[in-house]
Amino acid sequence: MQNGMVLESQSVSKRFGNFTAVDQVSYQLFEGEAAGIIGPNGAGKSTFFNLLTGLYPPSEGRISLFSRDVTSLRADQRVMLGVVRTFQLVSVFDTLSVLDNLVLSVVRFHPVAGKKARFILGSAHPAAIVAECMAALERVGISHLAKETTAKLSYGDKRKLEIAMGLALKPKVLLLDEPLAGLSDGEITEVLDLVREVHKEMTLVIIEHKISRIVDLVTRLSVMHEGRLIADGVPGEVLQDPTVRQVYWGAESSRVFSGLAAEEKAEV
Amino acid sequence: MQSSLFDTLKKFDLLIIAAIFLLFIPLLTMQRTTDFMIFCVFVLAFDLIYGYMGRLSFGHMLYLGVGAYAAALSAEHLSGNPFLALLVAVVAGGAVGLLLGPIIVRTTGACFALINLAFNQVGFFLALIALAEWTGGEDGMAAFYDSVWIFDFGDPKVIFGFTLLCLIAVVYFVRRLTDSPFGILLRTIKENETRAKFLGYNTFFYKLLAFVLSTSLAALAGALTMLNYTYATPSFIDPTRNVEVIFACLIGGAGNVYGALAGGIGYMVISNYLPNYIQRWEMFLGIALLVVVFRFQAGIWGYCRALITARKGEVKA
Ligand SMILES: Nc1ncnc2c1ncn2[C@@H]1O[C@H](COP(=O)(O)OP(=O)(O)OP(=O)(O)O)[C@@H](O)[C@H]1O
Ligand SMILES: [Mg+2]
Repeated sequence: MQNGMVLESQSVSKRFGNFTAVDQVSYQLFEGEAAGIIGPNGAGKSTFFNLLTGLYPPSEGRISLFSRDVTSLRADQRVMLGVVRTFQLVSVFDTLSVLDNLVLSVVRFHPVAGKKARFILGSAHPAAIVAECMAALERVGISHLAKETTAKLSYGDKRKLEIAMGLALKPKVLLLDEPLAGLSDGEITEVLDLVREVHKEMTLVIIEHKISRIVDLVTRLSVMHEGRLIADGVPGEVLQDPTVRQVYWGAESSRVFSGLAAEEKAEV
Repeated sequence: MQSSLFDTLKKFDLLIIAAIFLLFIPLLTMQRTTDFMIFCVFVLAFDLIYGYMGRLSFGHMLYLGVGAYAAALSAEHLSGNPFLALLVAVVAGGAVGLLLGPIIVRTTGACFALINLAFNQVGFFLALIALAEWTGGEDGMAAFYDSVWIFDFGDPKVIFGFTLLCLIAVVYFVRRLTDSPFGILLRTIKENETRAKFLGYNTFFYKLLAFVLSTSLAALAGALTMLNYTYATPSFIDPTRNVEVIFACLIGGAGNVYGALAGGIGYMVISNYLPNYIQRWEMFLGIALLVVVFRFQAGIWGYCRALITARKGEVKA
């Protein structure tokens, strides 16, 4: 079982004051998976991502990466081990040009430009680095915006940029926190295609609100509710689980529930 | 047309900077012009932390003062070699940065500003009272430097030339620093440090590095002041004088090498001429600051650049 384990949490909890945002979550992620995490608002999904990626330490429990305990490692150290994330609210650097947003990612693992002396005193824009940045932008389809100030980009383009910044770090695991939220239908299709493409190269975890959008993309689905992991398994089975139905869709409108149920039958 | 002219000028920026200061000599005394250049070095040091990294320090006089006293003490206790004094000063500035930095760079905002100020006040007290035996307390201390080869720092022309070289070197160095990926990292730390960490950078280390570079350069400015005046007084480490460098950085335009120079010169010109006409000239500094805050937020340089880009747009259109 140890073989192929990428990321693991062992009964991690996170408390903010008296409030328990993540409650004893044990979760295992295996190489090559595309795992979905769903759950209602405030279920603790983003907090769980924050624990996995090292934004803050858990109140309890441990986190390991490739069977190595990383609970006490900083966020940047975990990035170096291959865990890269995006944020629920797109997080890019508005004051920089689109190209400059990518430079740090491209340079991070670069054999020449990544060397300390070069990093500190060398140019940020040698041809080789610019070419790599452009290739990264090309991949997400926004290379025509390279010279723009990032603040001018649409939300969807910023999302693509953020994903490009993540991919340029050559992650082993990519954690996407609601990558489709706030995007137009056209952009959703583009980003989903991109994610599908990316999955060929790395392990993925995707938080998503609307299950229908990712249900045919993920190989595995987990449901969080009130900080706990209440179901975890093959999407088809998880969606049939009576507790999941009651807890998750019970809280949402019955329209969503029946819509999903119909969608799911069509899948099977 | 305008833009290509501008780009050509930019290629020769170091020469232009040198020319500007040479033009000041007939207007002022040589010693005063040297003062202008030293102040520009100090503004550049400050701007690395403020303009680029987004951390406002209210205590940078400490690092300038450390440099000045270190240069003076070096002459008194080690040797009269001026270059040794400069080296000692820069190392001392760096050491103080390295000592205090780990505490200071953890903080942001008001905390960062005030913790610098607090250390500055401690430094001022040390120089004025606690270590008066070494620093001469209120009277300050004088130091004289041997002449080495062609460098006779008793001659204002020599110190002018040497300071100009130092300034050009610092401009070049700061520009290399800020045009590098490190420079981009500093700007990302300014905008959103957490996000920068998630790009795999140990931001603490790089903040400390920027801080130590800044304190070292500030100490260089202090040592040059020492060479220029051959005495150090507690006014070189006086926390109330922090406003000068902050003001210069704001009027010039923070986060830009040319902005820092424009601010340094602008402030020195104001503080040099206004007192001749108006007794309480500081009030006009306050008014100027209000104008900057409300009308020219990007400073003199930012305003010039906006004009240039607007012209560029016109040309294209
Ligand atoms: N830093 C914090 N301090 C205090 N409470 C927090 C903090 N971060 C999250 N919480 C609380 O923890 C709970 C879980 O938040 P979290 O953002 O993880 O939910 P989520 O599942 O991602 O929800 P959403 O679908 O709305 O993004 C929420 O009730 C939130 O208010
Ligand atoms: Mg969330």
